[in-house]
Amino acid sequence: MAKKTIITVACTGAWPKKENNPNVPMTPAEIAEDVYDCWQAGAAIAHLHMRDDEGNGTMSADKFRETVNLLRTNHPDCDIILNLTTSGDLNATDETRQIHLKELRPEMGSYDCGSMNWLNSGLFINSPKFLEELGHNMQEWGVKPEIEAFDPGMIANAAYYLKKGVLKAPLHFQFCMGCANGIPGSMKNLIFMKETMESLCPGSTWSCFGVGKSALEMTYGAIALGGHIRVGMEDNVMYAKGVLADSNRQFVERAARLIREYGNEVATPDEAREILGLK
Amino acid sequence: MTWGPSFMYYICPNCGKKFKYALDMIPEFGDDYGKCPVCGTMGTYEKDGARTKDDADYEEVDE
Repeated sequence: MAKKTIITVACTGAWPKKENNPNVPMTPAEIAEDVYDCWQAGAAIAHLHMRDDEGNGTMSADKFRETVNLLRTNHPDCDIILNLTTSGDLNATDETRQIHLKELRPEMGSYDCGSMNWLNSGLFINSPKFLEELGHNMQEWGVKPEIEAFDPGMIANAAYYLKKGVLKAPLHFQFCMGCANGIPGSMKNLIFMKETMESLCPGSTWSCFGVGKSALEMTYGAIALGGHIRVGMEDNVMYAKGVLADSNRQFVERAARLIREYGNEVATPDEAREILGLK
Repeated sequence: MTWGPSFMYYICPNCGKKFKYALDMIPEFGDDYGKCPVCGTMGTYEKDGARTKDDADYEEVDE
């Protein structure tokens, strides 16, 4: 039987704006329609960020609620797995970073497993207190953490929280490759991340993406190494060198094409639930 | 949360060319990182970050 590969679409993020690419969905209505479009093209998971009315990243529970309600109301046939960010605004509080999970109970939420410098200009803080609280809360609320690892140290941190009971196996990692101050995106580094995960957190599943130049390399690498894929304008507004992406669907369609050409099959949301232990 | 590729933006002190290098190209370019794609002069650093508003004014050097 062919291996199933999960496509996650990260359609908005906290950074790109219309001036970077006019096709980035920004409002709840745009994001909801974009998610539906990507689901139809093969995405099994949607990783969602919200924007305020000025287009800046926000952790507004109102925006999350509006988006999720629009998706569920307008497209009841859409069974995509929702993965809501907990890191959509550098100025958010520990409370506002997770209150939407408690209310909306998405199947997944992001869990950034360590702190780092953000774009050489700010701090992306995920304190021990926050991570312990978030891990316990996600278990209580039935939200599976997607462990975002920007470097191998964050995998080691996940192993610590696993032993402590803050996280529960099996873990699912998202290797974030090529972000400034994180591990550069290369096949050698991707293999190192995978092997680090396998030695510290055996039995885990993983996905990855690369920003910028390493985007396609990481996509091909994930397929070849048995991982899963994340694509979308959160990470890349360019489809190819000098070419702005038309849509997030365009990224999903390419990922699906590559998966099939390799001989794998694109996982449906229900198949992704099975793989990730969501049901 | 990610923030797309990060760039270092330069202007050439010799020919005035504006250009940029992505941070993930440091291993590939080594000592040539920051050099003008037209005349080869080491550029004068202007700023860095994710794609800025005037990003299109700067040619991306990637080969």
